[in-house]
Amino acid sequence: MDMNTLQKDPYNIIITGVGGQGNVTASRMLAGMLVGRGYSVTIGETFGASQRGGSVMSHMRISSHGAWSPQIPKGKVDLVVSLEPSETIKVLSGYGNPETQSLSNDRPIYPVRVIAGDDKYPSMDEIRATIENLTARSFMISATEEALKLGNPIYQNVIMIGAVGGMDLLPVSIDDFREVIGRGMPEDKAAVNVKAYEIGEALVRN
Amino acid sequence: MSNLLDTNEGAHYLYMGNDAIVRGALEGGVSVAAGYPGTPSSEIIEQLARISDRRSLYVEWATNEKIATEIAAAASFAGLRSICTMKQNGVHVASDFLLHLTGTGVRGGMVVVVCEDPGALSSQNEADARYFAKMLEVPLLEPGDFQEAKDMMKWALELSEELKTFVIFRSVTRMSHASGNVVIGELPENEPRAYFQYKGPLLDFLTGPMVTGPGVVAYARTVQQGRLKRAVSLFEQSRFNIYAGPERPELLIITSSACYLYSKEAIHTLNLGDRVGLLKLGTTWPLPEGLVRKHLAAAQKVLVVEEPQDFMEENIKILAADAAGEVGVKTFYGKKSGHVPTSGELNPDIIMNTLKGILGIQYEPVPQEYATKAFQSMFKSPGRELTFCPGCPHRASFLSLHNALALDNRDGFVCGDVGCYGIGVLPAGFSTVKTNFSMGSGLGLATGFGKLTKFGMNQPVVAVCGDSTFFHAVMPALVDAVHHQSDVTLVVLDNSGTAMTGFQPHPGLAVDAMGETAPSIDIEAVCRAIGADVASSDPFDVERTEKTLLGMLKKKGAKVVILRQICALSPEKRGKKKYQMSVREDVCIGENCGCNRMCTRILRCPGIYWDTARKVSRIDEVICAGCGVCASVCPSGAIQKAEVA
Amino acid sequence: MDEKKHLGQKELNERVKHARLCTGCGACVNLCPYQRAYEDKVLAIFPCDLDVGRCYAFCPRTPVDLEALRGLLFDPQDLTPEVGAVKGFYVTRSRNTKERSRAQHGGTVTALMSLALKEGIIDTAVMADRGGTFLPEAVTENDSRKVAMHGKSSFVVSPNVAEFNRLAKGSSEKIGAVATPCQALAYAKMRMKPIPERDNNIDKLKLVVGLFCGWALSWERLMDLLAAKTELAAITGLDIPPSRYQAMHIYTTNGTIEVPIDEVNRCIRGACHYCFDMTAEFSDISVGSARLSEGWEEARGWNQVIVRTDLGLELVELARKKRRLEFREVPEGNLQRLKAASLNKKGMALKNLKLRTHSQDDLIYLNKEDPAFKNLIKGG
Ligand SMILES: Cc1cc2nc3c(=O)[nH]c(=O)nc-3n(C[C@H](O)[C@H](O)[C@H](O)COP(=O)(O)OP(=O)(O)OC[C@H]3O[C@@H](n4cnc5c(N)ncnc54)[C@H](O)[C@@H]3O)c2cc1C
Ligand code: SF4
Ligand code: SF4
Repeated sequence: MDMNTLQKDPYNIIITGVGGQGNVTASRMLAGMLVGRGYSVTIGETFGASQRGGSVMSHMRISSHGAWSPQIPKGKVDLVVSLEPSETIKVLSGYGNPETQSLSNDRPIYPVRVIAGDDKYPSMDEIRATIENLTARSFMISATEEALKLGNPIYQNVIMIGAVGGMDLLPVSIDDFREVIGRGMPEDKAAVNVKAYEIGEALVRN
Repeated sequence: MSNLLDTNEGAHYLYMGNDAIVRGALEGGVSVAAGYPGTPSSEIIEQLARISDRRSLYVEWATNEKIATEIAAAASFAGLRSICTMKQNGVHVASDFLLHLTGTGVRGGMVVVVCEDPGALSSQNEADARYFAKMLEVPLLEPGDFQEAKDMMKWALELSEELKTFVIFRSVTRMSHASGNVVIGELPENEPRAYFQYKGPLLDFLTGPMVTGPGVVAYARTVQQGRLKRAVSLFEQSRFNIYAGPERPELLIITSSACYLYSKEAIHTLNLGDRVGLLKLGTTWPLPEGLVRKHLAAAQKVLVVEEPQDFMEENIKILAADAAGEVGVKTFYGKKSGHVPTSGELNPDIIMNTLKGILGIQYEPVPQEYATKAFQSMFKSPGRELTFCPGCPHRASFLSLHNALALDNRDGFVCGDVGCYGIGVLPAGFSTVKTNFSMGSGLGLATGFGKLTKFGMNQPVVAVCGDSTFFHAVMPALVDAVHHQSDVTLVVLDNSGTAMTGFQPHPGLAVDAMGETAPSIDIEAVCRAIGADVASSDPFDVERTEKTLLGMLKKKGAKVVILRQICALSPEKRGKKKYQMSVREDVCIGENCGCNRMCTRILRCPGIYWDTARKVSRIDEVICAGCGVCASVCPSGAIQKAEVA
Repeated sequence: MDEKKHLGQKELNERVKHARLCTGCGACVNLCPYQRAYEDKVLAIFPCDLDVGRCYAFCPRTPVDLEALRGLLFDPQDLTPEVGAVKGFYVTRSRNTKERSRAQHGGTVTALMSLALKEGIIDTAVMADRGGTFLPEAVTENDSRKVAMHGKSSFVVSPNVAEFNRLAKGSSEKIGAVATPCQALAYAKMRMKPIPERDNNIDKLKLVVGLFCGWALSWERLMDLLAAKTELAAITGLDIPPSRYQAMHIYTTNGTIEVPIDEVNRCIRGACHYCFDMTAEFSDISVGSARLSEGWEEARGWNQVIVRTDLGLELVELARKKRRLEFREVPEGNLQRLKAASLNKKGMALKNLKLRTHSQDDLIYLNKEDPAFKNLIKGG
């Protein structure tokens, strides 16, 4: 991967998930890595009400020249990173195009209407097939499961970011992550995060 | 982690819009900041509070927006620079004071920062606060990107001090809560002294008393209008008003704020750079008339892109009418013409559509075949209705409220208020909330309903409010309810913080915004002192809470029930489970008569789900917050809780 | 009528609760989290969408095959069309004066329940306490010496069956219940095990002592009535002497207040107008007030007792043997008079049901072919 150029300018990423999953943190980490490399990053985020169990999205624009709209136009996303499998579909159906790639965590979070039995959650096979149908390349990884192995589900975000790094789409490396995570975090804690990043990277490289 | 105080001028950082505003305020030498939490404004005060000790700032979460502006004005009167922050509807609360403040003007720079929420992503209204600028006769500034948010904030403080009027600085969700690169400037070394000079003559607002009153209003307004005139001449030169595009564009777009970024994106995506001109205004009231006239003269078609209302469009049209001789007759596009939606949030796609319509161009973002596929796939992903967080005390509180009202059996209902508990309208809150308006209006309405017994109304009325809302606007309503002997029950959902907006402290807590110990105001004692009949309960004790509520519903007069339990997202609680929950599969009767999935069908906590294959409920370890409420509603004792050491 | 035998909560609430036929017995309560009892009402606080529910199956106001219940519980030769099974008919009272002073009439119910507990026939008794505001509360008693504390009648329904439902899930093994006729019918329906795989542990129910019942009162209306007559705090008891007295007696610390029966009638719980049972026909023993030639002052200290089952007979004989009950000769014609009163209630119920449905054939929850009703229908 060429560490000095973007595949496209702006390169558009949507990080999605369900309120409370920490997609804001994920987008901050990834953006921090890119800003460290000298890129301009614009992020548009959902806060407030939809953080209460609703679908949330962070729109991220990576560019060599200045600010872009914090909302990506329809059909213009290059990479979808989803902390929840079915949310991938939601984003792809609005913002995807035939070249879009995606990375999803395979741990479902059931909407309350599904929990209550008023609505159905699609099977994992159906989700996978739908995503494949809408992307040029897609990955589904067990970020939550891997995070639990590390002792805390919160590492799922870092694992996802590691996997983004592993997809070789962006001019970032694990060193950029070390740099970002190292700021204001004790060494031992940073080490677990770096471990999580490596796990994520490995999950898509294999 | 915060780099808001870094001194390496020229470095660039990724700042959220609100951070950029904070940095701008710091660079502008702010000393005092006050605000009331409200999305998307809250982070400004939060960040300033966090660094208050290192910059010798005074920062407070005021009890409401009006008080916040008064705190800021006092600082300004004493010669300091100050800001106050709020969301759009906060201006309506503060407006009475602001109206009077134009009667004297200010001394130290004072900026009213309003963060609006077009599209009402996290609001119950999409008020356009820009009209206040025109009504109050004060300058209005709107940044168009993140760098500008910082630079303009600094300038706003200087401008206010120079003109001697407060200035409204308006941001929107997609600015405040978006992030972008910002090059930082110099942090001033200032240690201002505060002193209120009042010894000068009356009506000398620089050295005399700061008073408004009958007899001097006309004079004061003339003074204020003079300030506005000076503002226009400064705005003509402002670097925040920029134009990009051909000298004689086929279409001129005039825009501001986040709409600038949307418009820019639309022009870029449609490749219209050589046909369409983009005039971005940063000073939107009073308009830089000369500049606008000049650009109007260069184009025949004019499109105004703004949200949520047509504030600029109207003012530009007035200007164009006045200058018709000079600029000629224009064709205007915008909200009036139907080319721009008149409600809801805008985005690049909407502007592209507008441009397609006006210029008659073709554009499809993706091939038709893909679009069809995408459309069909959309429905495969289930919708997500809002719900209370796992472990949220409101779920338990509303369950008890629902049960109490159902048992009471007189068609009782809940008047909601502004906060997470607005979700009480939905099944997540057992659909108990039947009215929901502005801050504090829950109890106000309930008090009104409670007086209708005279007309045969026998329905018990409950109002709910959060602890922060209680201080903001509920107290006066409670006074009214007690004094007028309204039959009403106020339920204070005391979760120890302003949860919706991210745990800002309020007067009920023993800590202030800057983290210092502060005397806490005991809600229970306040209610008693006002004369209400008061009871309290832990909402997680579902049985006791229901009983307490039922008892209160029966009583006459104004009653208060305080349901106290810390918010599940609070820093103290987050990630810490009180109980390890589990479901005993052999005991769960699930879909059978005797249960029929009480926990998943009715309680609907995201932490517990129905295993369709095994036909039992299960705890989702990752999501469950360990509050134990589901165990108390399980009729068969299948849900077990083990205390976490 | 539906083709399906059992339905669920939706139909229960449509056809019983909203049709104002609910007796407030509590049979549908404490089976699940959705049906709850509060004051003298039973409410569905959340909807349940099951199409077969115990709530519907146990309710004494959903369609019932009384013949099947009789077949299950009684000796065929004991059955009478007027008052159900009669194995014996007595006039009794407790021999314990203290017990009597705390009882409604002769304290027979108290004595029998106390004895049953003492002898281990049951380990838990379900009864009703009047409560401070005439709103009865279902109570559980395990101590034979304390049974008398729950004496006296509450003329407002008590959701006693709900208390049984709660107990049946717990550690009690032998439960005895004092029951009004509607409650006794609910227990009988449970004993049929209509939903075999979820039988509500009904086998734990060992004894049902029924109370005669003309009707019960609506709590709110009773409170209004009492409040209009006297200080609530001064009331020590209520009674309704046999119908020829045409009055309700309010016993107070300042003497007895007589309330004309018309005023009382206005307080009757609506559902009671559709009840066919005066003598709690589906119990082991039924107990009511006595009629004696000496007049009400004497009679109010005695009970009339119908023994209906072998268990009932055993218990009454044990009470005789253990000198817990005192017996006196049954005045001539008493059973006939009771039968006449009972028939009168049946007749009224059938008439009211027909008025409700505007049909000779549709008796809502009753079967017009039932031997107890056949003659009455023809007659009226
Ligand atoms: C609503 C009602 C109406 C009645 N109507 C008549 C009538 O018309 N004719 C007649 O002869 N007798 C009637 N009785 C029965 C009568 O009042 C006495 O209960 C009966 O004679 C037994 O007297 P006792 O002295 O043995 O009762 P006690 O020894 O005092 O025992 C009474 C028992 O009944 C229980 N109990 C009290 N109230 C209720 C209730 N609401 N539901 C269930 N259990 C309760 C008590 O806990 C106690 O165990 C009625 C009773 C009730 C509750
Ligand atoms: S009569 Fe009894 S079982 Fe039927 S609805 Fe009423 S309380 Fe429930
Ligand atoms: S008893 Fe059974 S059917 Fe009836 S409401 Fe409860 S769970 Fe539903």
